[in-house]
Amino acid sequence: MAAEDTPTAPGAAPAALDGAHAGTAPAETGGGGGLPQFELQYWGGQIVWLLLIFIVLYTLMSRVFIPRLRKVKDTRAETIASAVAEARRVQDEADAQATSARAEIEQARARARSVAAEAKAKANAEFAARQAEADARIADELAAAETRIRSLRDTAMASVGDIAVETAGAMVQRLTGTAASAADLRAAAKGAA
Amino acid sequence: MASPMEQFEIHKGLQLPTVELPGGILVDLSLNNSIMAMLIAAGLIIAFFAIATSRAAVVPGRMQLIAEGLFSYIDDMAHGIIGHESRKFFPYVFSIFLFVLSMNMLGMFLSFTATSQLAVTVTLALMTFLIVLVVGFLRNGANMYKLFVPSGVPWYMLFLVTPIEIISFFLRPVTLALRLFGNMLGGHVALKVFAGFIPALAGLGAVGVVGAVLPLAGVVALTSLEFLVAFLQAFVFAVLTCVYLNDVVNLGDHH
Repeated sequence: MAAEDTPTAPGAAPAALDGAHAGTAPAETGGGGGLPQFELQYWGGQIVWLLLIFIVLYTLMSRVFIPRLRKVKDTRAETIASAVAEARRVQDEADAQATSARAEIEQARARARSVAAEAKAKANAEFAARQAEADARIADELAAAETRIRSLRDTAMASVGDIAVETAGAMVQRLTGTAASAADLRAAAKGAA
Repeated sequence: MASPMEQFEIHKGLQLPTVELPGGILVDLSLNNSIMAMLIAAGLIIAFFAIATSRAAVVPGRMQLIAEGLFSYIDDMAHGIIGHESRKFFPYVFSIFLFVLSMNMLGMFLSFTATSQLAVTVTLALMTFLIVLVVGFLRNGANMYKLFVPSGVPWYMLFLVTPIEIISFFLRPVTLALRLFGNMLGGHVALKVFAGFIPALAGLGAVGVVGAVLPLAGVVALTSLEFLVAFLQAFVFAVLTCVYLNDVVNLGDHH
């Protein structure tokens, strides 16, 4: 590009040496109202070139660069979305598994509890049955023993009467020298009893 | 000392034939510094995007990241303004944004700013205006009059509103062209004037040399401001292009 301090255009006059102040238009630009931008002789070329350049730029942008970038961005968005969806799916799966595992544990615990309760109930029942059996046996034995004791006592009590009569007879004999009749003795013993 | 306006002078370079356009208009196709600036600006964009998108990968490289950043920036802007149909107009908006941005930025490095040429900004503005008109008539046909008759306005207000709408519509290419032209022209003139103060003051002796620090600082500050303006004006041009397209694309429905 042409350096701004060295005008090299063939038709241009040397830069006006009119100081560094703005507002004084250079003399050589003339005809266009002061600003070089108003030199209409250069407008046509600039406009045509600008349109050509812009058409090339636009075509390349819309046909090549933007589709490439759009594709990459869409692919990335898709990849991220699918990865997120996959992660969410796996998470859901894990959650479901955790739930089922928890349910299984709960079930197992319930089963264990029921088994324990059953065993306890069975043991209790067995114990109660055995105890009842033992109680019954003891009661039987007790009853038998009581009967025996009662019969022994009865026999003993019966013997006591005889002994008393005999003893009384012997005592009467010894004291009086005469034997008392058995009926008297028995009556006396009964009265004493 | 060169005049601050000298930087805008057109200098003919390579001589090319003059062609006659239909209608008998003679156009000298010779290359000059303005055309060269445009060629370089467009060439840089094309070269950059050709390299950046040549191996477009889902995980982007450095250049692709920049290209995608620009792409997304303008794409989001166009989508925000035009809506779901923005993809159709995005290539135009993106091309014009990049082209104006590239010409503006080149003006900060080269000695010539193509967008400080009225011929260039007028052409760009008229191009946008014509595209808006063509798109508008293709999509809306006779309903284009709604552009000048805003809905929800009491009928007696239309006598006032419609002329204003018509005037503002046809002033769009003018403001579009003059805004870009004026910003570039003004910025570069101001830079040049401040830069001119430095040697002028420094020539006055010791006090002048100390005084010259002030315009020097001014030039540094203005240069950074001009970079902002170079970007901002390209963005404004793209935004307004979207706004004007939106007016005719979504004519009548408020979205």
